[in-house]
Amino acid sequence: MQRRKFLKSLALSPILVAGAGANLDFSKIKGKASIIDLDRCDGCTSFDVPKCVSACKEKNAARFPKPVEEIPNYFPRKINEDYSQKQNDISRLSPYNWTFVEAVEVNSKKVFIPRRCMHCDDPTCQKICPFGVISKDKNNAVNIDENFCFGGAKCRDVCPWGIPQRQAGVGIYLKIAPKLAGGGAMFKCDMCADLLAEGKKPACETQCPKNAIIFDDKAKILNLVEKAKKQGKFIYGDTQNGGTSTFYISSVDFAKIDEAIAKKYENTGQVGRPHMKVKVDNFINEDSTLIKGVLTAPLVGVVAGAIAVAKARKIKKEEL
Amino acid sequence: MKKIKKMILRQSLQNRIVHWGVAVSTFALIISGMFQMPVSKRYMINELPLMAWSGDYHISLIMHYVGAFSLIFFVAFHLFFHIARAEFDIFPKKGDGVKSLKIIKAMLFGGVEPKSEKYLPEQRLAYFFIGLVLLLLISTGLIKTAKNLAGWNLSEGLYFWSAQLHNLGMILIILGIIGHLAAFIFKANRPLLRAMFSGKVDANYIKERHSLWEEGVKMADKES
Repeated sequence: MQRRKFLKSLALSPILVAGAGANLDFSKIKGKASIIDLDRCDGCTSFDVPKCVSACKEKNAARFPKPVEEIPNYFPRKINEDYSQKQNDISRLSPYNWTFVEAVEVNSKKVFIPRRCMHCDDPTCQKICPFGVISKDKNNAVNIDENFCFGGAKCRDVCPWGIPQRQAGVGIYLKIAPKLAGGGAMFKCDMCADLLAEGKKPACETQCPKNAIIFDDKAKILNLVEKAKKQGKFIYGDTQNGGTSTFYISSVDFAKIDEAIAKKYENTGQVGRPHMKVKVDNFINEDSTLIKGVLTAPLVGVVAGAIAVAKARKIKKEEL
Repeated sequence: MKKIKKMILRQSLQNRIVHWGVAVSTFALIISGMFQMPVSKRYMINELPLMAWSGDYHISLIMHYVGAFSLIFFVAFHLFFHIARAEFDIFPKKGDGVKSLKIIKAMLFGGVEPKSEKYLPEQRLAYFFIGLVLLLLISTGLIKTAKNLAGWNLSEGLYFWSAQLHNLGMILIILGIIGHLAAFIFKANRPLLRAMFSGKVDANYIKERHSLWEEGVKMADKES
């Protein structure tokens, strides 16, 4: 009996270990979140560069990649992703531009949409990173550690919006396998995690002249989102990818905004310019039955083993 | 006229099922695990016939979950069954390192091998190495799997080290499998490979090579 208990606990120990390290502070209602009010954002048309974009660039300049001169290609391909010569391009997300303002027209109405990481509740990028270098802190800020990132760009592939952007010729891959593996480092908005940790506001919020961007406790933000819903406003970010910590509010239907975005880039491609599809599934959350199945496998194996042991004993008894 | 070989049972059906269950699961996990790395599109594997799926992380993730369930089931079953029955024939014994070298030397250059029990000393060492690596992969894999549950967010350090050790485990298991299969380069070991399919080995082979395996020798004497 004792042995059985011991073996059961052995089989479950990895799950218990995982549980012990789980940061359950995070939840759909805790931490921080933001609202981006498209009815307030005017795209800073009176400025050369939208204020949220310039504030973001200024705040994060020290973290921008500084690639080596001879950037290796992604063997066997003869290409690499290098944006170092396009650092001033603010027309899309890039390793040097973590926020950009999309501009579309819907029913003769101009709509400006500041785009950046959504800081998902269950970030596919973080959960699926093969090197475990993407973190999500208690403020819900999802951050890529560019010092340990290999630049395989898997996070961009699994992000429903393709947010993280890759710069070749920087990062740890140069020291390990510059020709055969990795491709640089990935860069994206980190919600100004350092400022939030100090109780300060992110750069894009403080510089926005229209108060179109608000960061606050998630519970408060959710209340504001509910109010906006009651006013008949459209919301984006509440259900997409299983929920996020970024809520867009607009009088214009997001399905129409997405149509306009798709039309705008139909001939040029949309890399670095995220869509606004209303239906966005989180493919990792969808597998919850499979995940639970894997987690119970040790117990299933032990139970089957116990049955086999009992059966073998019975056979032995019969033989005697 | 060809002399009919007397065969004795060395591996029970259960052992063979567990062995091949672990082997097939491990191969499925290595393949799907590789495709969980950003290699398919880069190396244009997804452009090969019938390989388009390899570029889809969701497909290889599901494949990885299925392989993981199967591997963990067989490993847990195997450990429980043999620990409960106090069967530790395949666990390393003192002096296995030196004995392994002597056996390999004898296979390469001729000469007399030290006598063996049911398992050769290098088999015991290989089992222990592969077993430990599999346990490392399973424990880190379970942590990585738990993290994928909706609403779960593991501590940064735990997640980082699980990922690193899981990747290290993948390299070690590949090396372990290469080492395991390399054993069959030697002709003397091949009857043991056949035994993993049929379960049976030549009685004379047991008498000659595994003379310290009491039960096996008894069975071989009965057959002779």
